[in-house]
Amino acid sequence: MSRIPVIAAVGATPVASEHRGCNPRDLMTEAVLDCLADAGMDDLSAVEQGLASYESDHFNLQMTLGAILHDTIGMIPKPNVRIEGGGATGAMALRTAWAYIQSGLCDSILVYGCEKNGRGVSSRTANQLFALSADVDWEMMVGGSYTGFYAAMIRAHMEAFGTREEQFAHVAARNRHNAGFNPIAQKPMDISVADVMNSRPVAEPYKLFDCSLLSDGAACLLLATEEWARRRCPAFDGRAPVYFVATGCGSDTMRLGDRYPEITNFRAKQMAAAQAYAMANISDPMREIDVAELYDSYSGVEIQAVEDLGFVERGQGGASVAGGAFDLDGELPVNTSGGLLGRGAPVGATGILQAIEVAQQLWATVDPRRQVANARRALTDTHAGIASISVVNIFERRD
Amino acid sequence: MMGKVRSKIDIRLPESATAGDVWAQFRQVERITMELTQSYKYSLGKVSRFFIALENRRFLATRCPRCGKVYAPPRPLCPNCLSVTDWVELSGQGVVKTYSVLHFSPGSNDDVRALETPYVLAYVLLDGADTLFPHLLKAPPEQVRSGMRVAVAFSDEPVSHPIHLMYFVPIRGQ
Ligand SMILES: [Zn+2]
Repeated sequence: MSRIPVIAAVGATPVASEHRGCNPRDLMTEAVLDCLADAGMDDLSAVEQGLASYESDHFNLQMTLGAILHDTIGMIPKPNVRIEGGGATGAMALRTAWAYIQSGLCDSILVYGCEKNGRGVSSRTANQLFALSADVDWEMMVGGSYTGFYAAMIRAHMEAFGTREEQFAHVAARNRHNAGFNPIAQKPMDISVADVMNSRPVAEPYKLFDCSLLSDGAACLLLATEEWARRRCPAFDGRAPVYFVATGCGSDTMRLGDRYPEITNFRAKQMAAAQAYAMANISDPMREIDVAELYDSYSGVEIQAVEDLGFVERGQGGASVAGGAFDLDGELPVNTSGGLLGRGAPVGATGILQAIEVAQQLWATVDPRRQVANARRALTDTHAGIASISVVNIFERRD
Repeated sequence: MMGKVRSKIDIRLPESATAGDVWAQFRQVERITMELTQSYKYSLGKVSRFFIALENRRFLATRCPRCGKVYAPPRPLCPNCLSVTDWVELSGQGVVKTYSVLHFSPGSNDDVRALETPYVLAYVLLDGADTLFPHLLKAPPEQVRSGMRVAVAFSDEPVSHPIHLMYFVPIRGQ
């Protein structure tokens, strides 16, 4: 029987600016119980392996958090592993889980991710901690920040291709609008392109509403072989099987300046997509993918992403996004969950939340106002830093 | 409210329990302040010579003896060839390739905390280099353009991090 993993069950907490009543282990507990309920399972005794997905010891104020989470949910003495890949952590966790199952190391693996990136620290402290994930010697100490690096990148894109601020403002407005149909979203808003354009500058050309959220939250996904899922997961037979069919990963230099002259787009993303498309036998992604969650850490990043993922030609991202091609009623709806801009981004959970959104899209179980009709194949795009690491995962419904 | 706990921020009593809340007995929440303050003896490692040269108002880069690529900021190892590089001196003049105007400071060190906002983070292709050097461009933000010529200026004031011994300024009369 095939070892291509299936998504057996999923769970998550609401994403919030601050879960006052939960520390990381509490958040994780709630997400795991939600996943168990989704699976129709009473306990985790049948699950063979644990995988903890989180980025920051500093935000969580705890090292070896993976061991604590594993203990908290009663997975001891079974094996566990912790995966970290910056912003790509959750997607890399799933990619790793994919390999654990494909290799035969186990038939079932619980992937649980969480982060406390919200108001537990001031936004100044948050910026300082996130800057530690840049090149400390050269980028952080001069006064750089990720907002600044992304801003310099989108400026280069604007100057090379004529991309306009109104075009990425469309992303900021649309994703927050989509979040209104997602009950776990942190900050749904109905705002206009003009509202985005008039919000205060943060790192020009990015303004307040172009920036994604700092969030607390947790997510959990049970990945297994189909045979295991049919035997152990009562809910599995009740819905169409969703396979995790392909995964790709690429990398790039840590510093933007070292990529010169390639500073408008994400090479790592192009490579990750090429690998995943080859594995999934996809040659025309715009037509062959039905729904996608893209890493909209800043609004303009989505414009760069639709080019790097091969949905449109390079330089066409701005016009196609602003033209509505990726809206809920467009040719390829993206960020139906609200994305990082509207749903939120608890880092270690973000990539898992993206996978959960597309799985539920493929199961056709989301709010009808954001449901993409007859979705068969879905993509998640997740990256670290300014795509120093990029992961693309592809999921398929096979009735 | 503080009671016996000096670090206590607040205690929140449970909101009225909703039916079926499995956590009903766990809704009381106490928050305390936790401090994490550290200081490191941080080595600037194999690129130390770059920072020492800045004190002498000289701007260094490294060059790969095999492929000829010039790295500014310097790399001790050429990632293309895995050759150990050689130090070279550059004029410090170059051209802005892209930039951002930052309206907040991440406060990474005392020098950054002292910056007045907005300030300009510029990516500069130095004459003779193949990579872009990110640093502050001290110029009115509305006058900054991609393509403008800039030069390294050296600080005479004491700094907390040696990278702030330099910054970029526009070349006058261009
Ligand atoms: Zn070389």
